[in-house]
Amino acid sequence: MMDQGIVLTKNPNVAYRIYDGEATVVMPERAEVKVVNEIGSVVWDKIDGKRTVEQIVESALQSVLADFDVAPDEARRDILAFLRELREHGMVS
Amino acid sequence: MSSGVEISPARTGGEFRPDEGYFTSPGEAFGPRSVTLSIGPLVIGISGLSARLAEALDSRYRPFVVREAGVPDVRIALRRAGVDRFLEFRGGPAGETYRLESRLEGPRLTLWSYEFAGYLEAFARRAELALTADEGPLFDRGLENFLRVVTASFVLERGGFLLHASGIVRRGKAYVFFGPSGSGKTTVTHLSPDDVVLSDDLTLVIRNAGRYEAAGIPFGMAHHRVPETRASFPVASFNRLVQSTEVRREPLPGARALAELAGSLPFVMQETKQSARAVEVVARAIEQVSVWRLHFRKDGGFWNVVEERVG
Repeated sequence: MMDQGIVLTKNPNVAYRIYDGEATVVMPERAEVKVVNEIGSVVWDKIDGKRTVEQIVESALQSVLADFDVAPDEARRDILAFLRELREHGMVS
Repeated sequence: MSSGVEISPARTGGEFRPDEGYFTSPGEAFGPRSVTLSIGPLVIGISGLSARLAEALDSRYRPFVVREAGVPDVRIALRRAGVDRFLEFRGGPAGETYRLESRLEGPRLTLWSYEFAGYLEAFARRAELALTADEGPLFDRGLENFLRVVTASFVLERGGFLLHASGIVRRGKAYVFFGPSGSGKTTVTHLSPDDVVLSDDLTLVIRNAGRYEAAGIPFGMAHHRVPETRASFPVASFNRLVQSTEVRREPLPGARALAELAGSLPFVMQETKQSARAVEVVARAIEQVSVWRLHFRKDGGFWNVVEERVG
């Protein structure tokens, strides 16, 4: 489980670029390059060092539901799972 | 006569990671000679060579050796390491992935591996390289690996990049084939016997008068060959190789193209500033040059697909 109240910040060492909705994320510390899909990019974009997990989820959920054909519960679950994955990979803290 | 490099007994066994003071102590050069290489937009001066080493480099890198090249973009001073090794080979019979460690302190990037340690300072245009061997395969490998890092770092500053790729020139255009080891980079060069091979392992992509061109480097071949030319050619396409039973290609959209190319950049993706710069440089290149995923069989049929015009 992820504490909904913590503020998430992008790892300052991560380089990224968004293309047509998808993001390329480079993590030099791990020598890894990842492509984040369109929904993931929406979430990534909301991580600004000010929003809490809860605020990121709510904000991303609004954008995702407006632009993608996905059920709200499923979208919320996916967004949280994605945030957990980002933390596990050291892309956010 | 002292070498000028103090070696404590504790440093001669095991691994020796050069600390900040290592390069501040005076080092002993191999000799007074120097060689200048012209690689794409870069002029690299190598000094501290013995007459024999200079002649050997002159002969091996012949198409890239220049006599009058003005002020080099970077000067590399060679010195004796004064230690048996920097990193210790830990692999068993199957070997180990070549280890290269680095440290960034201010403007100085220090690197070390088994047979060399060196630093480079891009702004000051200088580098120093300590080699454990006076000559022979260990000397050659240490020098070439360091030259690869220097080339990758300096070309990035010029808006280009060194790519883990083969480069083949056909009808005046360069086709760049990239991917990890085993993806088929050398294979496509063997399947192109009538074309000019720039490299089968490391291809330089440079920005020249607003367009992207590919060039070989003298230490970019997997099997110690040197390309016949140091000329550069306009890049027609970047092709991510995928071995297959069929021959086809599909365009790689922006984020994936960038990820695939960035994942094939040697040496520059481990350090934050360089990796950010690399992302920026590659992103600019793929605005101009198309990137494809190329499924190919081990015959020359892939050229029909690669040379297809789009639109």
